Amino acid sequence: MEKDTKSPLEIPNEVPDFKIKTFDQKNWISENLHYKKDSGSWAWILHRITGIALIGYLFLHVYSLSPLTKGEIAFNQMMQSYTTPFFMVVEWLLFAFVLFHSLNGIRIVIVDWADGAKYHKQLYKLSWVLGIILFLAMGALMFSHEIKMLFN
Amino acid sequence: MLKYKYKSSKDSGSKSWVLQRITGLALVVLMIGHYILMHYNPESGHTYGAVLNRMQHSWYRIIDLTFITLAMYHGLNGIWNIFRDYKLKQWAKLSIISALVILGLAFTAWGYSIIFSIPYINSVAGAN
Ligand code: HEM
Ligand code: HEM
Repeated sequence: MEKDTKSPLEIPNEVPDFKIKTFDQKNWISENLHYKKDSGSWAWILHRITGIALIGYLFLHVYSLSPLTKGEIAFNQMMQSYTTPFFMVVEWLLFAFVLFHSLNGIRIVIVDWADGAKYHKQLYKLSWVLGIILFLAMGALMFSHEIKMLFN
Repeated sequence: MLKYKYKSSKDSGSKSWVLQRITGLALVVLMIGHYILMHYNPESGHTYGAVLNRMQHSWYRIIDLTFITLAMYHGLNGIWNIFRDYKLKQWAKLSIISALVILGLAFTAWGYSIIFSIPYINSVAGAN
């Protein structure tokens, strides 16, 4: 108990002299780029980017489905452009966005509603592992035709 | 003393916070299911015939209508959430909300009309 018997007056002298760094609004871009980021910060940034990409995709998607109203020829013509190797890879990469947003979305719900704050970092790692596995599995499904051709 | 009581509107946003999570969970099933279905084989997601076949089942149409409704709500509510991170003037808030609501209603209606435009090939098929 002896250690705690200092006079309160002495305590302020022991507080180290540090400056509180506040957010510099004028340089918001570099502030955002340079603050220290833990897994949660990355999760937040990526959740935002993938969310914006998905709603953007949804608008494009409705537009590119619209030839469905004009019948078979119009729709197949539109879809032809999405079955080129380039777009097949793009559709695969889109799944990475879908996966990140979905798995991290589940992580957010667990943190909010199931006491996940205690192990949110493990959940973040787990969602990466699951995500990579599911991404590769989807690649195998999407390119199964090409993969078969390779081995025959 | 309650200086921080939410002033600009009666709505603190807590309902939309809950809805964002619930629609999100529903979208996990819908979106991942959709992705697998659309890439099950090269035709399933990219040909008129495959879509026409599916659309003979009304429950499939219902799934698509639910999907676009939830995804639009969740996505645009999410965009609004991003704007709420910034300090905005009242007129700016109003214009952003109006733009998002109009955009959302227009594209949802467009999506609905696309699904409704796909014919049932024979009259019996409409039953299920
Ligand atoms: C796969 C199912 C999905 C789940 C589990 C999910 C989950 C979530 C959750 C929990 C949030 C709230 C984040 C927060 O309050 O911090 C959120 C935000 C968001 N979501 Fe989703 N979501 C899903 C699908 C989608 C889809 C299909 C779209 C686009 C059409 C979308 C677009 C967004 C956007 C734009 C945000 C706002 C991002 C932000 O606040 O930083 N999400 N999502
Ligand atoms: C690249 C992969 C995708 C392909 C090839 C694809 C293909 C299709 C096709 C062919 C339809 C027509 C209706 C049907 O057959 O069900 C459709 C509908 C739909 N898709 Fe996708 N889709 C993809 C990804 C996505 C994603 C990531 C989302 C979510 C953001 C999404 C949301 C929807 C919605 C909401 C509908 C219903 C549209 C309506 O009501 O008019 N799709 N999709």
